[in-house]
Amino acid sequence: MTKHDRKIARTHDDVFEEIAEALDVPPSKFKEAIERYESLGTWLDRDESTLSAYNPGISPQGSFLLGTVTRPLTDTEEFDVDLVCLLKASKTEFTQKSLKAAVGHEIALYVRAHKMAKPAEEGRRCWTLHYADGAQFHMDTLPALPDEQRYQAMLKRYGYTDLANDLALSGQAIAITDNTLPQYDEVTDDWPQSNPMGYAAWFRSRMTVQLAERKRAFTKAQLVTASVDEIPDYKVRTPLQRAIQLLKRHRDCIFVDDGAHKPISIIITTLSAHAYNEELTISAALHSILTRMDQYIEYRGDVAWVANPVNPAENFADNWAEEPRKRQNFYDWLEQARHDFGLYLRASRFDAVPQELIDSLGAELVDRALKAIIPAAASPLAAPAIVKAASNNDDDVRRAEAAIDERRSAGTQSKPWAKS
Amino acid sequence: MTLEEVKAAIAFDQPKLRAARDGPNIHVGGSYLLFENGAVAKPAGPISEFDIEIVLSNRFPRHEPKVFEVGGRIPRCADRHVNPDGDCCVTVWEHWLACATDHSFAAFLNGPANEFFLGQYWFEKTGKWPFGARPHGQKGLEEAYADALGIPNRKNDIIYHLRLLSKDWPKGHWLCPCGSGKLLRHCHRDDLIALHERIPPRIAERMLRRLKSYTR
Ligand SMILES: [Zn+2]
Repeated sequence: MTKHDRKIARTHDDVFEEIAEALDVPPSKFKEAIERYESLGTWLDRDESTLSAYNPGISPQGSFLLGTVTRPLTDTEEFDVDLVCLLKASKTEFTQKSLKAAVGHEIALYVRAHKMAKPAEEGRRCWTLHYADGAQFHMDTLPALPDEQRYQAMLKRYGYTDLANDLALSGQAIAITDNTLPQYDEVTDDWPQSNPMGYAAWFRSRMTVQLAERKRAFTKAQLVTASVDEIPDYKVRTPLQRAIQLLKRHRDCIFVDDGAHKPISIIITTLSAHAYNEELTISAALHSILTRMDQYIEYRGDVAWVANPVNPAENFADNWAEEPRKRQNFYDWLEQARHDFGLYLRASRFDAVPQELIDSLGAELVDRALKAIIPAAASPLAAPAIVKAASNNDDDVRRAEAAIDERRSAGTQSKPWAKS
Repeated sequence: MTLEEVKAAIAFDQPKLRAARDGPNIHVGGSYLLFENGAVAKPAGPISEFDIEIVLSNRFPRHEPKVFEVGGRIPRCADRHVNPDGDCCVTVWEHWLACATDHSFAAFLNGPANEFFLGQYWFEKTGKWPFGARPHGQKGLEEAYADALGIPNRKNDIIYHLRLLSKDWPKGHWLCPCGSGKLLRHCHRDDLIALHERIPPRIAERMLRRLKSYTR
């Protein structure tokens, strides 16, 4: 890269974009992850597969699908890629246990055939695939069966008819397994349910305008001739996705010693997506989200309720009642996030990230980002001089004049007075 | 108005202010950041900063907040719209209540407080008030109330309007305040009902009381 095409930050948003990009899965890792889960999908669906009669398919879910992945705090931790392994079968053909075992069997064969060092690990609902140390990620695969009819019936029972009739939001609901349940080994219709595809469709609906906008910008910047519709979602990031990445990172740093009680990602993601209003910039998105996200916590009686938008009967904050500390931690975190992000966006120049925000996003991460896009940040001695020179009195006066004109044309609210 | 509401209003927008309970009041102090209206961030940071203290009653916005400039930057004199005790005459309070629709603390900080300090900044640079200024004392009060009512600034007319508006419902058999000599119900009845919605009786009563306190 030559000096000429180096990115140089000019605004707070440029700095946030750089930090958030560093939080993302690097493109090479992203490609690698896709190749690996596609390879697993091909394996499960090969002719000799014991599952091939059920057309097994592998698809991503969670933050990997939503585009809100946040790099783990340390390099020794791995990204986790959440996958659904869907078999076109019915609950009369499997118990939860036999489905888990059937998928587990093929995964074990896959591990052996690919000479992977560690065997797949069984969790409560998933099979976890560990890759070699260099991969920096592992895959949690969730065995599942289609279950949209029971899901839609449940929605109707609770009175959510619109959701039940919306195929995008409830038409891909699934039944999943849970080895702690008493009916785990029984043939029954009563399986736990989940709806990751519906959630992703809802999330996407909260940012349709900016998603299209970013894709347009992408085709322009890359000089590709593809139409906007042909650009996959994961190629671009909207201000909503960027803001969520920054907020999750802030959360990770604040709760580094209390990980068990930190506000969970699905709560931060849901409330942020509600509060987001198609703002054009990360800073405007953060402003909207941080000032309004708590308004989307309902109180049903005394119970704090963060409704799953595709199944409002489900409360993402259902354990706040038993563990009041989690509720308190959410509100404490929100107050601190408002303060830390506000201190940078409102009280600071774009090239002077305040210590509070550096601490709560991670010094190394912020430092690396600043050095990459603010030339002066690379040599600490030069920075203060530049800050001084740039905060020019004349500029402030010009800004004040423009602010006054703007106020005048919008209609002022007040005039100063004196009581006596 | 609770401490939590005040904290939420300043946490992001005014991160250099701190709020704490002080007996029956809420005390807000620190650096007030002066920004362009509606701006979230600017590359060079705020236009300017003022050291301030605000004393809010539990009954904000019904009770006017007191705003003090405490950095010694603004001389404490009527010509700078600051009372001798440092209390800034940000605006005629009832005028804001009557003319603005959002009376939250955040709206106060982004509205009248922003205009006041933007004006002070501009006065420092140019010696002029960018949004004009009210005359001092009673004259300024009358002018502000006339503005709020949308009528010419004549004291008797202001008082007659305010007396009408102090009633729970404007009486149809009163003479219309326009001076036509007709009964209200046969004249500007609809206009007055609209005004009554914007300036409810408790605000009209407060305006009357405040005017009288100067006349005495
Ligand atoms: Zn009339």
